Amino acid sequence: MRSRRDLLKSAVLGGGASVVAATALGSLGPEAAFATTAPDIEPGAPDPNFAEGRIRSIKENTLLVLGSNMVFHTIRVVDGTSLWKLGPVGFDQAQPGDGLYARGVLMPDGVLAAESVWLNIVNIKGHIKNITGRTLHLDHSGHEVLCHVVPGKSVAVHSESPPTTDLSMLKVSQHVQILGAWRPDTNEVDIATVFSPH
Amino acid sequence: MTGIAASQPYVIALFLLWAGLAKLFGRRMRAQAGQSALARLTGPARAVPALRLVGLVELAVAAALLVPPVHPLDGVAAALLATGFLAYLGYARVAAPTSSCGCLSAHSRPADRRAFARAGLLLAAGLLTIGAGPYPPLPGLVVLEVVVLLALSAELDRYWLTPARRLLVRLRRPLAVPPPRQVPLETSLHLLRRSPAYCSAAARLTSDIRDTWDEDGMRFLVYGASEGAAVFAVPLAGEDPGAVRVALVGETALA
Repeated sequence: MRSRRDLLKSAVLGGGASVVAATALGSLGPEAAFATTAPDIEPGAPDPNFAEGRIRSIKENTLLVLGSNMVFHTIRVVDGTSLWKLGPVGFDQAQPGDGLYARGVLMPDGVLAAESVWLNIVNIKGHIKNITGRTLHLDHSGHEVLCHVVPGKSVAVHSESPPTTDLSMLKVSQHVQILGAWRPDTNEVDIATVFSPH
Repeated sequence: MTGIAASQPYVIALFLLWAGLAKLFGRRMRAQAGQSALARLTGPARAVPALRLVGLVELAVAAALLVPPVHPLDGVAAALLATGFLAYLGYARVAAPTSSCGCLSAHSRPADRRAFARAGLLLAAGLLTIGAGPYPPLPGLVVLEVVVLLALSAELDRYWLTPARRLLVRLRRPLAVPPPRQVPLETSLHLLRRSPAYCSAAARLTSDIRDTWDEDGMRFLVYGASEGAAVFAVPLAGEDPGAVRVALVGETALA
């Protein structure tokens, strides 16, 4: 890990590692933005390179996932796969029962080789009914969702300002949008970001 | 006991007056009748006439309760009405759990435990009224019961519960914490996403963050890219998106 990180560091800071396609300083130039072509999917058709559902079982580096449309997906997590669970995490954090969105490349054998996996990620809107301790009681269309503030991780974005760990500006009865990680089979969510319109 | 029973007609009548008047004269309530569970029961076209009819019945029962002498039939009518409310709430809970109840005002909250408790209390009061004799009511009890019924009314929360909670939050400040020593990842991502470096490389990224670490006042963020990996260096201090750097590193270089 150390040497890999050193290599990446020297690449981005201009230490002379073998860098592809990049000036090591600043941006790549406008042509890079058009380097890839748009995905070739029929409008309205399901994206074959995407899967969602809940993890049923984990065997070595393979996740068996039952989709909400009752379709099974087999998802392979490799070294290059990014995992998110309230932030970037390792593969050991994936648990049976976790909800998941995965994006990757569908292999000919039907296995999705994942590039990115997001565990338990939720994006909900509602208004704050109450604030007790480190918990926001969110009214999400009539249902109460308990949103927990995680010290050091939860941030608030007020309007267009940069994210801040100071959540004390949030008020009872205001509307918010919360991006966070659901605690499976509960009405509780750990907050990643609270978006507040003011 | 006799005084308790004799107080009930006034409690019920006050409540039915509010409910009936709100249904007959509340313009917003009529406008939102289509979103209430009543529309599900009667069909959207008949929701407003049904709302008016219920309002009229409520006012009629309220009038019967207020005009002396108190007749046992008044109590029966009130109890039947309260039973009807309970049945309707039960129906709303099962058939249209996300619709508002359309009981007392145009608020859009679905029927919850408090609505059931309120209807249950009205039913109990109605049953007590059946056996009420010509005794003077207990003003203290009437006030207490009305206060309890008002407290159970989610329609009024914004007048007292929300301000009370706001005040408590302002006094206790539960979310106020000392700023952490570490810069949250989201702050770096906010800077990253606005940077020319990220915009130029975004089309090549294939994954979310694979790895991140802090070193020498910089936060390094590694993404998967079509070439192998994209590594960004984001300054931990400062607000200048132009200071973000990027490099694409081939998989062979990393192996």
